[in-house]
Amino acid sequence: MTSMAPEQEFETQDLMINMGPQHPATHGVFRMVLQVDGEVVRDVVSHIGYMHRGGEKLSETMDFRQGIGFMDRTEYLAQFNAELSYVMAVEKLMDIEVPERSQWIRMILCELNRLSSHFMFTGAFGTDVGVFGTGFTYAFRERENILDLFEEITGDRLMYAYFRPGGLAWEVTDNFVARVREVLNVSKQGIKDMDGLLTENEIFKARTQGIGVISAADAIDWGSTGPVLRASGVPLDLRRTEPYLKYAEVDFDVPVGKVGDVYDRWLVRIEEMRQSVRIIEQCLTKLQPGPILPERMPRMLRTPPGEVYLRTEAPRGEYGIYMVSKGGNRPHRLKIRSACFANLQALRDMTIGSYVADAVVILGSLDIVLCEVDR
Amino acid sequence: MTSEDAAAAPLQSFDGTIWSAVDKALSGISAQPERGVQDVIVHIPRDEVIRGLRALKTNADMAFDYLRCLTCVDNEGDGMDVVYMLYSTTKGHNLTVKAHLDANDLHLDTATTVWRAANWYEREVMEMFGVRFRNHPDPRTLLMPEDLTDTFPLRKDHPLAEIEVLQGEGIAWATEESV
Amino acid sequence: MTWPLFGMDMPVVLDLFIRMNIIVILMTVMVMGLIYIERKVLARFQMRLGPTRTGPMGLLQSVADALKLVAKEDVRPTNADPWVFELAPYFVFVPIFIGFVVVPFASGLEVRVLDLGLFYLLAASSVNLVGWVMAGWGSDNRYAIIGGLRSVAQSISYELPLVLSLLAVAMVADSLNLTEIVAGQAGAPNILWQPMAFLIFFIAMIAELNRPPFDIPVGESEVVGGPFVEYSGIRWSMFFLAEYAALFIMALVGSAVFLGGWAWPFGEQLGLPWQIVLTTVKTSMMIFVVFWVRVTVPRMRIDQLMAFAWKLLLPLSFAQILVNGAVLVYELPSGLTHALLAGSGVAGVFIMMWVINRSVSRPRPRPVLIPRTDQTWEATR
Repeated sequence: MTSMAPEQEFETQDLMINMGPQHPATHGVFRMVLQVDGEVVRDVVSHIGYMHRGGEKLSETMDFRQGIGFMDRTEYLAQFNAELSYVMAVEKLMDIEVPERSQWIRMILCELNRLSSHFMFTGAFGTDVGVFGTGFTYAFRERENILDLFEEITGDRLMYAYFRPGGLAWEVTDNFVARVREVLNVSKQGIKDMDGLLTENEIFKARTQGIGVISAADAIDWGSTGPVLRASGVPLDLRRTEPYLKYAEVDFDVPVGKVGDVYDRWLVRIEEMRQSVRIIEQCLTKLQPGPILPERMPRMLRTPPGEVYLRTEAPRGEYGIYMVSKGGNRPHRLKIRSACFANLQALRDMTIGSYVADAVVILGSLDIVLCEVDR
Repeated sequence: MTSEDAAAAPLQSFDGTIWSAVDKALSGISAQPERGVQDVIVHIPRDEVIRGLRALKTNADMAFDYLRCLTCVDNEGDGMDVVYMLYSTTKGHNLTVKAHLDANDLHLDTATTVWRAANWYEREVMEMFGVRFRNHPDPRTLLMPEDLTDTFPLRKDHPLAEIEVLQGEGIAWATEESV
Repeated sequence: MTWPLFGMDMPVVLDLFIRMNIIVILMTVMVMGLIYIERKVLARFQMRLGPTRTGPMGLLQSVADALKLVAKEDVRPTNADPWVFELAPYFVFVPIFIGFVVVPFASGLEVRVLDLGLFYLLAASSVNLVGWVMAGWGSDNRYAIIGGLRSVAQSISYELPLVLSLLAVAMVADSLNLTEIVAGQAGAPNILWQPMAFLIFFIAMIAELNRPPFDIPVGESEVVGGPFVEYSGIRWSMFFLAEYAALFIMALVGSAVFLGGWAWPFGEQLGLPWQIVLTTVKTSMMIFVVFWVRVTVPRMRIDQLMAFAWKLLLPLSFAQILVNGAVLVYELPSGLTHALLAGSGVAGVFIMMWVINRSVSRPRPRPVLIPRTDQTWEATR
């Protein structure tokens, strides 16, 4: 009897799977074309741009106050952080000093927004790993609490447009401090719930540990930022390395992962939520009554010519605004440096060689917002 | 500001900035400094920019291992500036590098050989500004449709709202008849 | 020849007809009820309300869903294989349905008593795998193909532990006749003597049913419904019907084989109504646990699933059979036999938990927290 080696017997062909733009696990309109050999991913080609709205071009036609509203629409899960980069870029160009009270309130709102955004991540990631919606509903309850507070302050649930060059649009509500404390107490329990639901779950650990690993050197080379970079072991947090607002005056820890896999990204984000709570509590004690805008603000903002690249630490990483002004009341060029854009570039490296099911989990662990990627 | 302007203003002080160290790292490359609002800006001629960037990355004192952002600015008739925002994760300092391109010769070597992160940024600049990066590993469009390669939306001469794109059929500029 | 049904004698054909109709109606109603209960239970777990609008407390939601599905257009993709695509739902549905023939709901309340009942039921219900593959292959959709192939791999792997665990019980009960197995448990349910077999059966059952955490063939976030992705309307509802009917029949088998069915406790003495209550309660408990597992745990990956079946469940179920054979062949005193069986089962459960725990809970560095210091950036690294 002659036996044939399997490779002579069969000719196998890789299967191309088109995941997205309509797919429940792509977090928006993201498309990745997977080349799979059985269950193993051999290649990934990402296609973005389905949400491209020409925001940078539009911003060139909007004056410095109109542009704020557009920033909300780029990063619809961390709107305050996006606004912050924009208004701070304008302030930097115009050399405006922001009153203390405004800075503290900005910090509180940005950290609350980080909380709400990470809650969204914990919920959505649970669904990616395959929990049937349970984590999702619990995470949304917590997020809802925070959004309620935002609505009370800004009048809108998602598109706040509340920060202004120089300070804030209007004073916060009278019961602001009490309400923030109330929300924080609920959120603390929420963090505990989300942590308890998944972190020590055996299947969750089996699914997330050791996949999507990216080394510190690779993460830096790909330009990753935020929790993705910190999970790989690089303690790079703009709040720490280049403190803006009042971050130099508060105490907080930067969680840094040791392995760089999906599980580390989860742990880092959970820990960041705890640190956010810590930061907000300190901010609340330091918040003093005072003006929220500088005394003399022009009706029409005009900047001197110049350029600035202003970056802040948004929940997903570095949200940068590169603003070039040639004088006048609108930017000559506005580039939005999106954290997800850079993080998503590294997806191919992380995914190749893993299983199809892991591709979804790895994508979920990057926590992308497609509106921010495509701008 | 273009490199000519920067050269015309040599009286700016660079005390307390990293310019002197950058200058040392960029020996043999004609770089011009400029005091930006936040970071120091270094103008490097187009032909030398990749060599300069690699020197900045490999130099032990500089160690700019992290490309924050890469973008382009259209200077309206005065060519374009390709801008690199650099950061060093080990040293913690920032630098902005600019390369000036003439409007009639929008070619530049790719920076993907220095940082892989430059890949998508360069693709975006290619489709938005029409700057060609030589030897780019993957020169497809990124955000725009695949067939939209003959118009560059972020250029200043590009109209903002009067374009009607018919995918797969090229581009039809909306005229009064078509509206 | 006549068969008694509810105390009446009637011709065999009529008797069969009535019994089959009872099964069909019961099954449809049960499935609708199960869907409603699942939605309500899931909603409670997730702080939602579930259906509330249709009928009192949303009770008519399943009816409304069924009507909607029947009225919906039956779409077939242009490139689909017409015969394979359209026949697949029947291949999924019919085997489940014929499995009900041997299931004892109560004493004397079954379509037929077969001596090889358990064997027949397992053989019949495995055939529905063919339907899954047909659906996956015929749909001309890559998600469907992947889902279909995953389903084959998974079902074949879990068929073995499922059958072997039932075989272990059959050895103890000394019968393959479901009615006899149930009647033999009037004193004590088999789960006491075969706890590990029950655990293996339960896990393999969830995997056979493609329910979380083993819903890999239909994983919503990966293959978007797997083999069903192209189905709509009445064909899709047949898959749905089959899914819940399979859940129901598996829970019935589990309660009959392991939990004492209608016989324990006091089934014989208290008569038919109590027997039906017993069957209902036990089946509901099993189904509730399946729902509970569904909302709690993430999905496993295909290789982990396979490793779990082949490296853990299969050896353990073989070991249980060997132990059973060794214990039963010597005809020891009844007390000692049962003690040995129960002891081996409990030991097996502990071994299983230990292996799972060891393979998952590897020591792992936690993220470090870098506090604020007055030192420079380099010092914090």
